[in-house]
Order: sequence, then structure tokens, then C-alpha cells
Amino acid sequence: MLKMQSVSKIFRTELIETHALRDVNLHIKKGEFVSITGPSGSGKTTFLNLAGLLETFEEGDYFLDGVNVRGMNDNQISAMRNEKIGFVFQSFNLIPDLPLFDNVDVPLRYRGFNRKERKERIEHALDIVGLSARMQHLPTQLSGGQQQRVAIARAIAGEPAFLLADEPTGNLDSMMAQSVMELLEKINNDGTTIIMVTHDDQLAKRAGRNIQIFDGQVSDINLDSSDVLVKRA
Amino acid sequence: MFSYNLQLALRSLKQRVQLTILMILAISIGIGLLITVQTMAYQNEKMPLAHKADSIYFVQADNRELGADPIVSQPRMIYLTHRDARNLMTGDTPAKAHTTVWKTDIILNSLDQNIRPFRSRTAVTNHSFFSMFDVPFLYGSPWDNESDNNGAPVIVLTKESNELLFGGENSVGKQLRVNDLSVTVVGVLNDWDLGRRFYDESYSTSRHDTAFISDTFAINNNIMRNERLSCLPQDSSKRGIYRTNDVQGLINSECSFVRLWAQIDSASKAAEYEGYLEQYVMTQKSLGRFPREMNNYVTSLYTMVTLANELRGGRDPLKYIAPLFFFVCLLNAIGLLLAKFMRKSNEVSLRRALGASKSTLMGQYLLEVMLIGFMGGILGCVFAYFGLQGMMRVNVYQSDYTVTLDSLRHAFAMDWIMIGKAFGIAIGSTIVVGLYPIWRIINIPPASQLKSQ
Repeated sequence: MLKMQSVSKIFRTELIETHALRDVNLHIKKGEFVSITGPSGSGKTTFLNLAGLLETFEEGDYFLDGVNVRGMNDNQISAMRNEKIGFVFQSFNLIPDLPLFDNVDVPLRYRGFNRKERKERIEHALDIVGLSARMQHLPTQLSGGQQQRVAIARAIAGEPAFLLADEPTGNLDSMMAQSVMELLEKINNDGTTIIMVTHDDQLAKRAGRNIQIFDGQVSDINLDSSDVLVKRA
Repeated sequence: MFSYNLQLALRSLKQRVQLTILMILAISIGIGLLITVQTMAYQNEKMPLAHKADSIYFVQADNRELGADPIVSQPRMIYLTHRDARNLMTGDTPAKAHTTVWKTDIILNSLDQNIRPFRSRTAVTNHSFFSMFDVPFLYGSPWDNESDNNGAPVIVLTKESNELLFGGENSVGKQLRVNDLSVTVVGVLNDWDLGRRFYDESYSTSRHDTAFISDTFAINNNIMRNERLSCLPQDSSKRGIYRTNDVQGLINSECSFVRLWAQIDSASKAAEYEGYLEQYVMTQKSLGRFPREMNNYVTSLYTMVTLANELRGGRDPLKYIAPLFFFVCLLNAIGLLLAKFMRKSNEVSLRRALGASKSTLMGQYLLEVMLIGFMGGILGCVFAYFGLQGMMRVNVYQSDYTVTLDSLRHAFAMDWIMIGKAFGIAIGSTIVVGLYPIWRIINIPPASQLKSQ
């Protein structure tokens, strides 16, 4: 479903080269809930950006739903990102002057759905996150937890195969974090593959699988079987 | 997608509305000045009698002495002598009609003692003038051929002079005095949207002829020529006498002062006319006249106006200042667009993450700058309108009493072509200046912004 083979990412400036990810080999199957952990600066977000096609990579191959994204042009990558991937960010990234309905509408517009289908999907997504009664509210009228729910609704409205969450509970208190996590688990149970970057070990443990990143290198830990599958390059 | 992009563009314009207003102002002020200047140039360079510009010809022949200056500009070339003009008019040419024009100043005096007499700049011509140049009449009609032949004391007034002399009422058949001669009004012109006065080759809008009298009447009554006289050396010393009291001497002299226009149906007939003119000059050479090499021209009105435009084109400094000013306004607009768009980097990155391609966002932001250009065009047209009104008033202030706002309005009017041009320039230039800010914003790596929010 998501397969990386010898993928490397290097950030270059005039003075230095930083190997953000080194020779990553990884396979995430459909329906998995994978947590990504590691110290700050280890490459977690870079990994998520690569997985979400927000960054390019220098070496290796990346297969998303069986399609190698290497060599795709911007239009193809954007279309794939729109159809296959939903994003949830730590800081929600809602457009502040758009009502919730219109915020959730954004990816659906780029998908080319007609008005009726968009409306149905938006209402359904907001219903799933429990905010269908507040469709015309602005993000600033909601609590942090509610805003993150809207972001999740936006991510799932297009029914993507993957949901990439970058510290989705990082800006929330424990109560709200708990409720967002439960929502993500529900979405995963409905069949969406989730890859979640987190600093919180407790949350990481709730995922079926944990991938640890240290200094750009990936260690894969299967939490269900308690096996540690180190795949160091 | 278009309607969505339009919604986003309108929303974006409402955000940071001060920046939007500044951008629109920058563009519209530049457009306002540019279109003011360009409209004046456009109206000034507009082809008068466009539908006849290829069938009205100006006839020129150089009869000057051997040592005379070379001809550097055909529109500035000397005119014909009265006798050459007469000979060509009565010769066996392929012209359908001829008219001559020369200028005089006369005193127009109403019989009503309460109305002040005034000096009138007057065109001396023949009856064909009015039909050749499609002159519109409010009252009456031109004088006829017979009046030309017998020098009948008749006059055609313009609307303005009729207003001064008769309060604007139908004056056909009424008497007035030209200098000390009694004449009858046969016609009053309606507003004549001539653009510029091409028929006397002044191409001027600032001083109007206020009356028209016949050539024969003027000569029979010793009405003086009142323009520059180009005379051969043997006549130079008599120039003063010719001006003041010897019109008969003038018309038999080697002084050139008559403009000859011919109506010729086709280019082939114009070539035939040229042949006739050459033969005529050859004949005159054999009589000891026309000592120089052949410098004969039979030039269409279209070409004459084009040459005159080229001659005048480089003179107006505003023509150069306005585009420079507009360029500076556009530079400001680039800065403002950059400031506006770079503030959107987070939203752009988010939209990229949610599936918008660079080309989609390019379309969205191009639509936004087009809207800015469109609004700049609207406001620019408003500024240009007031600019033209101001320039028109300055022009009236600088002109003589015969020039009214109404008589100049056409020279300072924006038509649909200029309005279209204003919008075209506004939108086109805004797109051009918007490309760099748009390119900058759509190429920001989305990942760099999403984490930092």
C-alpha cells in the first residue's frame, strides 16, 4: 500500500548537506495504524512530508497504492495527494475566515466533485467528528479540540486511503487529545490507513505499529506482537 | 473551478482591503494619466473623413526659385499659386471635383446695432468644399456653382457665429455685413465633428473658421489674404501690397497661398492626375516658370494626415512621461502584490497539501490580479474622464473666443476603443506584473509553511 525502497532525503545549503532520511525501506499495509516516534530533529516530519508527497526525495522509489511517484509531474502528484492522502496538522491549519463547511470543502473542490456530492460528503464528515450542527461557524469560534476535529473532517471527507497526522494532539489538553485519538481510531477501524507522528509514548502505543526514527534512520517495531523489527540500512 | 476561483479572488480582495485599494489606486492613477494622454493623441491623430480619406487628394507643385530650400517635409511644402490652382481646376483632369482653400480675416457685422461686430477667421473656398468634405448644415445649404462664377455676395456661417450674430435662429436669407459689404446668409453649419482642421493643413483644434465665403467674391471685393505668403524673389517686395490692397496683383503673382484639393475616385485616376500635373508643370516650365526639378505631389488625405501625425508625433512630452509614470505605478503594484501574496503563503501551502496543483493556484491568483486590473481599469477610466475634462478646459482657456467646450468635446472624448484599451492595458499589465509574485508564492515548498503555523 505504501512502500518505500531505499528512499533518502538530503537538505542542501551552500555550506552543508543534511541527511534528513537515509535509505528508508518501509512497507505499510492497508488499514494499519502506524505511529512514528523519535527525538526532535530526527526526521519524523520529513518522513511524513515525503509520505504525503509534500517533499521530493533524491534517491529510491516510493510506491503509493502501487504507483511509483518518482518522476511524476506536479499535476499528477497534486491529484494523487488530493485523492489518496488526508492531512491532519498539529496546528490544525484551518482557513480562519472560512466557515467549517467551506474549510472541509477545500480538498473536495480540487477533486472536482459536483455541488451535491460535496455537500453530502461535507455533512457526513462533520457528522462523523460531531460538528454537523456548527457548519457555518468560523474556526475561531471553536475550541482547539473542535478545530482539530474539523481538520480531521477535512482530511476524511474525500475518503483518502491514507491519513497522515503530524502530532495531531500536540496542541491539545489531555481530554481533547483523548477524544481526537478516539476519533482517529474510529476512522482507522473504518479502513483508513493512518500514519501519525507523535511525541507521546502513550498515544504511540495505541497504534498497531510504531516506527522510530533516529538520525534519519528507521526502526520498525510491531507493537501488536511486541517484536522489534529493526530494519537498519 | 472558475466560479470557485472567482469566490476565492473576491474573498482575497476583501482581506487586507487597504492593500487592495492601494494596488487598484496605483494601477488606476497610471491608467488615468496614460489614457488621458493617449485619448488626446488618438483623437488628434484620428483620420478625418475616414470614409473618404482615399478619395480626397491634396495637389502640390513646387514653383519656387532654384536656390530655395529642399523639401524636407511634404506636409510643410508650399501651396499653389492662385493661377495654377485655377488652371488645374479648369483643366481636363480625372478629378470628380476640386476645391481651393485660403484664409482671410473679416469683420462680421450684424445689422442689429445691439450686436457687437467681431473678427472672423474665414475660409475662402468654392461650393464644392461643402460636398467634398461632407459638411453638415443646420440651416440652408452651400452657395451654388453660379454664385461661385459670378462672385455672389453670400456667406455660410458656423453654428457659433450664427449664435453670436443671430442668437442661433435660422438666419438663412438674412443680411449682414462683411467688412463694409452687404452679404446674404445662405447656410449655417451644424456641429462639424471634423477632428482636426485638415482642409487648411493646420490640423488644429484650437481655432475655428467661423465663416465661409466664395473665392470669386473675395477676389472681386479685394478681401485680403491673411496668412503666410510664399513668393518668388521677383514678387517678394510686393508682398505687403498684396496683403493689403492688391488682390488682383496677388492672384497673378508667383506667390503660393492656395490649397488645392481634388476628389478622385481611384488610385489609378490619381496616377492619371499626377501625369496631368506633370504635363502641366512641363508646359509651365516652357513658359519660364517652375525653375526647379519636378516636385509634384498628388497625395491622398490618408497619407497627408499620416505624414502630419508623424511630424507632430514626437513633440508632446506627455506622450513619453505618461508611460514612464505608468511603469512606476506598475512597479509599486508589484511590491504591493508581493506583500499581499506573501502573506498568503500559509494558505497556499495548505491548499497545495490538500491537492491544489501549481497550475490551479496560478489560475486562482491570475484571476485575482485580473480582477485588480479590471477594477484599476474602471477607476482609471474615471480618472481619465476627469483628466480629459481638465485638459479640455485648459485648451479652451488657451484658445480664442470661437472655441467652446462643445466644439472641442470630440477631441477630448473617450470612445469605446479607448475604454477597451484602458481595460486591456490595465488587465494585461496587471497580469504581467502579477506573474512574479504569483510565481514566487506557488513555488514556496508547502512543507516549510505547514509545520510553522
